[in-house]
Amino acid sequence: MIVRRATLAGALALTRAEVADMFQYRVVLFLYSLWEVVHPIVYLAVWGAIAGDGDVGGLRLSDFAAYYLTFMLVSHVTAAIEIYTFGPMIQQGELSPHLLRPMNPVWVAAARNISYKSVSMLLLIPVWIGLVIILRPSLTITTGSAALFVVALVVAALLSFLVGTTFALLAFWTTRSFSFWEIWIGLTFLLGGQVAPVELLPGFVQNLATALPMRYTLGFPIEVLLNRLDSGELALGFALQFAWLFAAALVVRAVWRAGIRQYSAVGA
Amino acid sequence: MRVLRIVSAFLRAAILKETAYRAELVGNLFRSVIGIGVAIGGLAVVFSHTSELSGWRLEQAMVLLGVYYLVQGIVQTALSPSLNEVVSEVRKGTFDYVLLKPVPSLLLSSTRRFVVWHLADVMLGGAIIAIGLIRLEAQITFGVAAVFVGVMVGGVAIVFSIWLALTTLVFWFVRVENITMIFQLFFDTGRYPVEIYPFWLRQLLTFVFPVAFITTVPAQTITGREPLVAIWLAPLIGALALLAASRFWRIGLSRYTSASS
Repeated sequence: MIVRRATLAGALALTRAEVADMFQYRVVLFLYSLWEVVHPIVYLAVWGAIAGDGDVGGLRLSDFAAYYLTFMLVSHVTAAIEIYTFGPMIQQGELSPHLLRPMNPVWVAAARNISYKSVSMLLLIPVWIGLVIILRPSLTITTGSAALFVVALVVAALLSFLVGTTFALLAFWTTRSFSFWEIWIGLTFLLGGQVAPVELLPGFVQNLATALPMRYTLGFPIEVLLNRLDSGELALGFALQFAWLFAAALVVRAVWRAGIRQYSAVGA
Repeated sequence: MRVLRIVSAFLRAAILKETAYRAELVGNLFRSVIGIGVAIGGLAVVFSHTSELSGWRLEQAMVLLGVYYLVQGIVQTALSPSLNEVVSEVRKGTFDYVLLKPVPSLLLSSTRRFVVWHLADVMLGGAIIAIGLIRLEAQITFGVAAVFVGVMVGGVAIVFSIWLALTTLVFWFVRVENITMIFQLFFDTGRYPVEIYPFWLRQLLTFVFPVAFITTVPAQTITGREPLVAIWLAPLIGALALLAASRFWRIGLSRYTSASS
């Protein structure tokens, strides 16, 4: 993707404005961040209760703690919020003024995404540090796994953003894009590494999870950081992650072009 | 009697109003089916590694999940639409019109809206409870059913009280549109039996923010599990919570100054 310098400057300015805007809503953002903490704790408790003093498929309680604590940060960084931030813009006709600007309105969605995450991350970190102290995860991070983790995390965030944008763009055609989004959320819950680390899914489902894109928006970076994958699985994982990223970019492009052609704002 | 007539008039009006949006039923039903299907899939994953979770078998955990959706459906049908309206009215000052009517303000504020479409969750929750009980081959006597209903009513009373108390904060802080998220935050821990949580969290979820009484205890009574606490505590705590919350509402109400003053 080639991005012109003027566009980049514009995106930067947009992000700065959005960050300032987000700071108004810090209390709400704090509540949202707490929510992201609650779900992993529920599943940590579930697996902890099953593992007891032993293990589940080779994972001990402290491994689950490490997994779900990493999960909190990864799910925050890769969260797709476009269905809330970008979808309504299309539905309510607020897209129109943005179309007059010399840059694609998808940048507005990107700026909101980044500003939301950076502001609420500041609120999430103290809670997270507290949990690390309470839960005592067993973390064995190597320089190699940390470096690969950063790559996997950035690609996951990009992929997730593109998927979120695609679902938000469905608002061009239907007022029910939320229902479709909920299917994606449900699949991510089951196959993306939320209800359980992908390695604990039963055989056939695990193969499905490895092939489908959900894991690459969430579970994969965690597995990379915690050294849960051998070199073959790593290579396959990265190959599929980049493939899905490429595919998602093509889909967003196509959906945007088709959608904008039949956009008529509100009341037209 | 007069109160009953008023409430039923409100309900009729609210239902009529909602029937304008019939397509909502399809949308909501679809979303409920997806949500519950995913939740059951989650249980299947968890129980593929164990035959019991803190002593709960798969079918018992299913019944608990059904109770969760039942309560969730009641909240979204009857509780949250009415009480959320209070928050926006207080902010805009139009809460005056509620106070001017010759009906207790709390009654009016909590029965004005009834989003029938969310009954989809109630129905599906009930269906899951039924399926779980059939698979358990549970012998449900009239007595057990009556106790279950009593415990559920207690649980719903607790939910209403918490929701009302959070809403009442609007009289002090005005901008509290999202404060009820705090409820959802704790309520989401109730998808699983409270026994799975570590000791301190279990105490918190039983006595401070009593999610245990909303899902775990009702599911225990109907599946014949040893109850966590004496079950008569559920309606008792429900009644106490109602009293406390309505008292708090009155204190909050006395601080209402309309807008612009």
